Amino acid sequence: MGLGFIFGVFGVLFLFHAAYSTIQYRGLLKIMEEEFSGPPMNVVLELLLGFVFCVSAALTVPGNFLSIHPDSEENRIVSLPANLDFMIFNHRAKALPLEIDMKLKH
Amino acid sequence: MVSKTEETQLNRLENQVDNGGGGAWEYLCLARKLKVRRPENVLKYGLSILNDSKKRSALGPEEWTLYEQVAIAAMDCQCLDVAKDCIKVLRKKFPESKRVGRLEGMLLEAKGLWGEAEKAYSSLLEDNALDQVIHKRRVAMAKAQGNISAAIEWLNKYLEIFMADHDAWRELAEIYVSLQMYKQAAFCYEELILSQPTVPLYHLAYADVLYTLGGLENLQTAKKYYASTIDLTGGKNTRALLGICLCTSAIGQVSKGRNKEDKESPELQSLAAKALEKDYKQRADDKLGLLTSVLTSLKI
Repeated sequence: MGLGFIFGVFGVLFLFHAAYSTIQYRGLLKIMEEEFSGPPMNVVLELLLGFVFCVSAALTVPGNFLSIHPDSEENRIVSLPANLDFMIFNHRAKALPLEIDMKLKH
Repeated sequence: MVSKTEETQLNRLENQVDNGGGGAWEYLCLARKLKVRRPENVLKYGLSILNDSKKRSALGPEEWTLYEQVAIAAMDCQCLDVAKDCIKVLRKKFPESKRVGRLEGMLLEAKGLWGEAEKAYSSLLEDNALDQVIHKRRVAMAKAQGNISAAIEWLNKYLEIFMADHDAWRELAEIYVSLQMYKQAAFCYEELILSQPTVPLYHLAYADVLYTLGGLENLQTAKKYYASTIDLTGGKNTRALLGICLCTSAIGQVSKGRNKEDKESPELQSLAAKALEKDYKQRADDKLGLLTSVLTSLKI
């Protein structure tokens, strides 16, 4: 988790740095009175690098993904809940005494 | 619905608490979430927490839910004194509560005092005529007294109002099956499959009912539903695999005299048989001989 977290921090820093560079570049172009067609190549590269770092951090930091298949070994339904709303109390276990005498003590 | 991981988790927690390893509160929460019926364990572990004042105060507001859970488990184990004490504590804390009133009604049911329980439930219904749980308790009471036709009547009236309650549909289906009214049971299972198509156990129960009804069309539909159960459980449901084998041989028997359309490919049966043999070899090797003899007798 530590490595993914560091990747995430670096990714965010790269993105912020790319944004700041682009703003500065635009300011420079305004002084030189030229058209702003797009940020320079190295800023675009930095942007892509920051994106890759952030995505890899987002995938690794939260942990293992859970399975979504309904028929996978973990997700398959094994039994239904016991319909407790319709539970009746006069079943055969009435005749079976409990070994320990249970009491609520207060 | 209890999935495989939840089931293993529940069993593991049960073993852990049985051997004195702690984790009773997690077990109780999991049992409440999964709605399983383990009254002795719930009673034992619940009382161990409730009788210890330190652990009780550590629960905070969850204490009252635990009292309710232990009260129901005590009624299930016929420890009516424990149940009465728990309900008394709850009544002191929540004097005007309908939920506690319902528990008191259930205690009267557990004691066998049907008339008084009926009176208690009717008075609760006067305040709120659309209380689902009280209606269901009335059905349960009719069932407990052995009056199955009254139970069916109450349940049908309940389902006219609350058509989306799949627990009630399931209960009705099981009552019909117990009375061998298979066509009505098939209708109930169809409702269940419509509302929850991804639960394989409803498909399995529906296929069982259709197979019991018999007749060529029902057998073919039953085979399709066994196949869908296998699909939804990843092939791990032994009953569905056996169902396929039985259905195929029954279809073969029924359509023996008729014109051989032969659209039934024998592949499905042989695949199911192979899967069954592999499963048995892995889990119950000594019973493999039984299985192979049954399968050879089915391949007529």
